[in-house]
Amino acid sequence: MDKLLTGLKVIAGVVGVVFWAASQFWGILLVLLALGIHMVQNFSRMDREDAVKKLKDLGMSAFYPAVGILAAIVLGGLIMALTGYDPINAYKAMFYGGLVKNWHISLLNATPLIFTGLSIAVAFKAGLFNIGAEGQYYVGSMIATWLAIRFSLPLGLYILAIFILAGLAAAAYNIIPTWLKIRTGAHEVVTTMMFAHIATKYSTIFVRNNGGDPAVSKHAYVTDAIQEANELLPLKTIIPGANYRVHMGVLLALVTAIVIWYLLYKTKIGFEIRAVGANKTAARTQGINSGRAIMTAMLIAGFLCGISGTTQVLGLEHKMYENLNAGYGWNGISVALLAGNDPIGVIFAALLWGILDAGGQYMARTTQTPSAVVEIIKGIILFLILAKYLYFWFGHKLFKGRKKAAAGEAA
Amino acid sequence: MEFVIELLSATMRLATPIALAAMGAAVCERSGIVNIAMEGLMLIGAFFAAAVALATGSPWLGLLGGVIFGGLFSLLHAWSTVTLHINHTVSGAIINILAAGLTRFFMVEFYGHPGSSDMVQKTLGDLNCAVPLLSKIPLLGPVLFDQSPTVYFMYFFVLFTSFLLNRTKLGLHIRAAGEHPMALETLGISVKKIRYIGVLYSGLLCGFAGSFLAIEYGRFFTEGMTGGRGFIALAANVSGGWTAVGSFVAAIFFGFIDALQLKLQVMGIFKIPPEFFHMLPYAATVIAVAGLVRRSRPPADSGNDFSIEKEM
Repeated sequence: MDKLLTGLKVIAGVVGVVFWAASQFWGILLVLLALGIHMVQNFSRMDREDAVKKLKDLGMSAFYPAVGILAAIVLGGLIMALTGYDPINAYKAMFYGGLVKNWHISLLNATPLIFTGLSIAVAFKAGLFNIGAEGQYYVGSMIATWLAIRFSLPLGLYILAIFILAGLAAAAYNIIPTWLKIRTGAHEVVTTMMFAHIATKYSTIFVRNNGGDPAVSKHAYVTDAIQEANELLPLKTIIPGANYRVHMGVLLALVTAIVIWYLLYKTKIGFEIRAVGANKTAARTQGINSGRAIMTAMLIAGFLCGISGTTQVLGLEHKMYENLNAGYGWNGISVALLAGNDPIGVIFAALLWGILDAGGQYMARTTQTPSAVVEIIKGIILFLILAKYLYFWFGHKLFKGRKKAAAGEAA
Repeated sequence: MEFVIELLSATMRLATPIALAAMGAAVCERSGIVNIAMEGLMLIGAFFAAAVALATGSPWLGLLGGVIFGGLFSLLHAWSTVTLHINHTVSGAIINILAAGLTRFFMVEFYGHPGSSDMVQKTLGDLNCAVPLLSKIPLLGPVLFDQSPTVYFMYFFVLFTSFLLNRTKLGLHIRAAGEHPMALETLGISVKKIRYIGVLYSGLLCGFAGSFLAIEYGRFFTEGMTGGRGFIALAANVSGGWTAVGSFVAAIFFGFIDALQLKLQVMGIFKIPPEFFHMLPYAATVIAVAGLVRRSRPPADSGNDFSIEKEM
């Protein structure tokens, strides 16, 4: 029986992920089924008391995100109603657009966010705030574009090389800020932010020098297209029926999240990173070289942003735009915070963000509600999920109010 | 000589938003709250300064609007860090995201399109006035005293912040809240209240700095127009050793680099793309923070959450 369930779980999980990535929204139902079976299996092995306790913990950990998202939707609706839009229609369009009509766009939006979210999560685990992820994303995109325009090799070997080189370059971009952090204590929030601005400024020069010169190019502010051999295969080559724009990067992102989870929780260096992030002094007394752990975490963080940019260039855009303001680096911060820096959670947080973005665009097109509403909803979701103390605070206020009223009545 | 005066005069002007925000940072950080939300606060200030100035036609009311909305928005940071005990950096990041979203939403609401707002007809920059007598001093006169009113406000706030922190009772409480909050609480003074005041002060000054960008330095609000100045102000405060005067000196340094890159661009001595000049202030910030941070000591309890229940 147990073996049968395990088999069912694996099949449902794999098939679910494949269909889900192939822009079939209902694939996620199979994934959820697999998770459900996994939980049932786990619970059946526990005795009653443990199971109840575990269930309570799970309920609590699901409570804050659920309440946060619901409350943000209500508040967002209120803002829309107050500014003269129809919230019901807007939300209908948003969810229809994000989940059904343009599900493939949600997936495409989520893909780079998974990488950048992981990047920021890894840095957070080491106690650092990689706020300049956007800069590393640009560095990765630039190196990937430069390499992919110029050369190509058969058998996809070169694509692998592009991924590695772009990732390494983006990782190298983090060396100076991290070294300064370790040696002088210069705060990484300031230094990586400045490096991000430098990289985005440089990207304009880069785009102009690679085909985007308005004086000679027909398409101003866009680089030349990369060579066709360097484009990532679309997903429909292995899964028929996938949307033609969805590419292999989606699967790569999912695999990367699992790899990062393994790295953080099952390897020595992952343990060191988490130990330094949790308590530097305690880690040092255990003989952990905190500088090395911080450097490793930031290099991994940079590498992830680099491959985020590479996936986007090779998989979706096939060229690089000037001032594209994609903001995958900035949004990665929200994704990591939302996921509580959990690598697997990052996948779902990135998907939520991707759905909101895709749905927001569809909503703006069909109902003329400004898509910036989505930005506000995102901010409120973040705030409500992170401010766990908010619920105690409200409870306390309510409770105190009642107590006072009761005291008044007694008097 | 002409060139030097022009360069230094531009330095003072470009240092103004950074110095104003850095004064806010000095008070906020000394009260124990890390404020990376300044970028967002400046953005909100800039947006509402332009909006009010456009609606009323008065740059002074615009300035007031920017300051008030910057202050109001900063209360969100105070509430989330002090009352709700969220990590200061995390709260700041959320507020920056919210500020970008809100300004974009209101852009579409007010002007019907994202991007830039309509042009403000009369700005604070048009109210340039030389101080009589003082502006006649050779070199220093035209540099320091032939400016727009906001620059004079900036001088005032540098002196005021320094006085507030070092010579008043409230300043003592602010410093205590950042160094040893329990000691302050023992005296019967609410650490929470003091920290709220610290954040609010930074919010008001960031609103001022934002107003400068929208209706003095420029004539309209553009999305993301702060361009990292909130973080540069934070860097100015760190390089200036968390003091008002130190932050001011650092802000002038950043203003000088900014003025220099503008002048170099115009002169065209170096035949390189203008973006390289735009990078200069950011690179200078990294160097300043890295070079100076070791000599200064942050407030002992800066960035730490304070709740009286936990201390006991």
